Amino acid sequence: METIHAISTNVETTSALLSFAEDKLQLIALSFMALVYFFKVRWILSFKAGKERQAPTGNRDTNAKRGAVYSLFNIFMPWSMPSTRQHPFFYLQFGIFHVAVATSITMSIVLPYLPQLISSPLIIMALQTLFALGFLVGVGRLIRRIVSPYIRAISTPDDYFSLALLVVWLAFAFKAAPNNSDITEFWLLGYFFLTAFFLFYVPFSKISHYIFYPFTRWYLGKTLGHRGVYPLPFNPGNEPLGRMFTRIKSVEGK
Amino acid sequence: MSNKRSYKCEKVIERLHKKVSRQILGSLEACVHCGMCTDQCHYVLANPGDVSYMPSYKADKLRKLFKAHIDWTGKKFPWWVSARSLYTDDELEELKDTVFGKCTNCRRCSINCPMGVDMATFNRMARGLLVSVGVMPQGVAVVAKDQWEIGNQMGVLKEDFLDTLQWMQEELQSEYDDPSIKIPIDKMDCDVVYSINPREAKYDPRTIADAAKIFHFAGENWTMASEGWDMTNFGLFNGDDELGGAVARRCYEATENLRGKKLVISECGHGYRSTRCEGQNWGQKDVNFKMESSVISMLRYIKEGKIKVDKTKNPEPVTFHDSCNNARSCGLTEEPRELLNMVCMDFREMYPNRAENFCCTGGGGAMSMSEYTPRRLKSAIIKANQLKETGAKTVVTSCHNCVDGLSDLIRHYKLDMKVTQLVNLVANALVVPEKRKAAAEVATLVGYKILLADDEADTLAFFSTVLEDNGATVILARDGDEALALARKEKPNLITLDLSMPGKDGGEVFEILRKDPELSAIKVCIITGKPELRRLIYDRPVTPPEGYLNKPVANEELILNMHKILGVAHDGKKK
Ligand code: SF4
Ligand code: SF4
Repeated sequence: METIHAISTNVETTSALLSFAEDKLQLIALSFMALVYFFKVRWILSFKAGKERQAPTGNRDTNAKRGAVYSLFNIFMPWSMPSTRQHPFFYLQFGIFHVAVATSITMSIVLPYLPQLISSPLIIMALQTLFALGFLVGVGRLIRRIVSPYIRAISTPDDYFSLALLVVWLAFAFKAAPNNSDITEFWLLGYFFLTAFFLFYVPFSKISHYIFYPFTRWYLGKTLGHRGVYPLPFNPGNEPLGRMFTRIKSVEGK
Repeated sequence: MSNKRSYKCEKVIERLHKKVSRQILGSLEACVHCGMCTDQCHYVLANPGDVSYMPSYKADKLRKLFKAHIDWTGKKFPWWVSARSLYTDDELEELKDTVFGKCTNCRRCSINCPMGVDMATFNRMARGLLVSVGVMPQGVAVVAKDQWEIGNQMGVLKEDFLDTLQWMQEELQSEYDDPSIKIPIDKMDCDVVYSINPREAKYDPRTIADAAKIFHFAGENWTMASEGWDMTNFGLFNGDDELGGAVARRCYEATENLRGKKLVISECGHGYRSTRCEGQNWGQKDVNFKMESSVISMLRYIKEGKIKVDKTKNPEPVTFHDSCNNARSCGLTEEPRELLNMVCMDFREMYPNRAENFCCTGGGGAMSMSEYTPRRLKSAIIKANQLKETGAKTVVTSCHNCVDGLSDLIRHYKLDMKVTQLVNLVANALVVPEKRKAAAEVATLVGYKILLADDEADTLAFFSTVLEDNGATVILARDGDEALALARKEKPNLITLDLSMPGKDGGEVFEILRKDPELSAIKVCIITGKPELRRLIYDRPVTPPEGYLNKPVANEELILNMHKILGVAHDGKKK
């Protein structure tokens, strides 16, 4: 009897921790992140944006706004840059990793509040496949960061740590996806605590690049749109298609 | 490491705070060190394994400073994001080596960065910070000084400029036997004010004559300004917005003072970008006239039927090199191709092209930084391979920097090609009423003694044939000492001097000639394959040479310049 009582107390205690981790902790972390982001955006806006006085140049069918919009979505057009076009496998990895991270963030909100959305075994399997792929890509990227002299030369402790953090987090997401606290309590707890840590840490790390992304892309696109460079045509280097694809390179040095 | 900072470093940091705009801030913050830009830079491709050429590695040199002084995390936990301040003047020198010597600001990495990091823009900013404390390659300092003081970046004096225009006008009048052909100067209320690169006045006056010919036959109401005619702007290269603004304003004000309706900018990538795009921002000036590239003007003349062209006059295969400034920063990519297809029989693309083209390696002011020449030429292998693959005999470009950069790499990699500009091809294809007999058919140099000093046998053979065909008496010297001995013995009217020769080099011979009262009156034309050595001549405390040519020199160009230096008219008469 005593043993059974002890187990049940333990279960209750763990569940309380889990429900704290799933709910309050996330809200605190999210609010903190939002607050820091608010200050960060204010800080960015405190820097002067240059004024463009020149009359438009280049292609007359475009303008600053079209250029800016194109620039924002440029990443979804791998054909538009040699760096993505010539390294399709690398681009695919990039896609998988980012989709896995975004899905994992979404899952941290869905699990506590709308668990029924990911109750079907098929959805769970799909999520796990995505997280597993994301994890593998992350591990590959980490190895590349350590092994490639090029990438090592530009890597900071934050680069290694942020990537390692995401890799571990994706592993936990993989195990937490079935959302069965009886079996995966440890993984769920780990997942939610890591998510919270991630949210606290992000604004101070390179992971906050997505806050800067709209700014850099917008301003670059606005300038290049006004100057008639953006949007680039479908095949900006005007290479014959056959040639474009024979030039696909290995990710040498990457 | 002591935390004591040099005065120059203090100033650089102080100015960094003022220089960072929102756009630059984004670029400095957003890099995720993914390395996708790595193999898009010609320096990296030409130096496999050398990480110091990576765009992001180079960018990090400034980024570390930014993180140490402006970024939140960097200020609190510098080691975590590899933030690092600058303390010593040696570190500034190191930064100089990167931002001036390892990047041509070509912007190819910028358009290849998924995050939109505009490396070229903040590399320019870094140059500006260094320039503000006097840390820059010597050539950059010299050119910037000329542009501040004399008003153009090659130090062309007003009298020399006007003299060159007069000379070109006479050449054209004589060539077409038509005194109505003019190069108007300071004419008020014209439709077009034509601005040029001083390189045209100093080394390539034929392009001025070609443009004048096109304006004349198009019936354009045009003029050139006697002041503020230089549309180039070293402020783009040295990152000094003050210089950029002052130079651009000088050019705009010249057009305003002449009440010109349009400022036409001759073929020059950085000049076009500086004058047409950036100058108004640097100079904080709005203008009330239009500006366009001469490429667009020429295309319009053909389309509107103002001039007629015959493409069979340019039968050789040509390819086109997009200047980085034109293509990646101003969107000038289609007009040159349309024009080329109208004036050439066999136009072939080089790949990649347009916004994806590789830099000629002479951009970003690289041609004025002789200390980095070996690096520049090594990285030029990428362009050389691109050129070779086309199988073309001529590479056309709408940029004077590219003309120099390409000529240099063509020589270095021994490609069988020549460089030209659209204005030359259009002028050559022009259908005009009855052309006068070509100069080469008249022996115009009879009675002139010319001493050719060069250590390359091929060059001597070619020059002597051309000059002798024109009636000159030619004497040959194969090194500097022989040149001096023959000069003393023969007292020629003119000496052509190569710069690098065995024994005394061209610079030394030139100075001795100038300082010797018996020889100082002999006219001198420098003919060199090493444009970066120009300083060796122009920095000497003697009167500059009467002429200067870059190898390879075409037959017509050689004669034209001999005429100018000797004061001989197109028909062989003394002017
Ligand atoms: S500049 Fe852009 S492409 Fe290059 S490493 Fe940074 S984020 Fe990646
Ligand atoms: S701007 Fe051009 S030269 Fe400079 S790092 Fe980028 S690609 Fe290389």
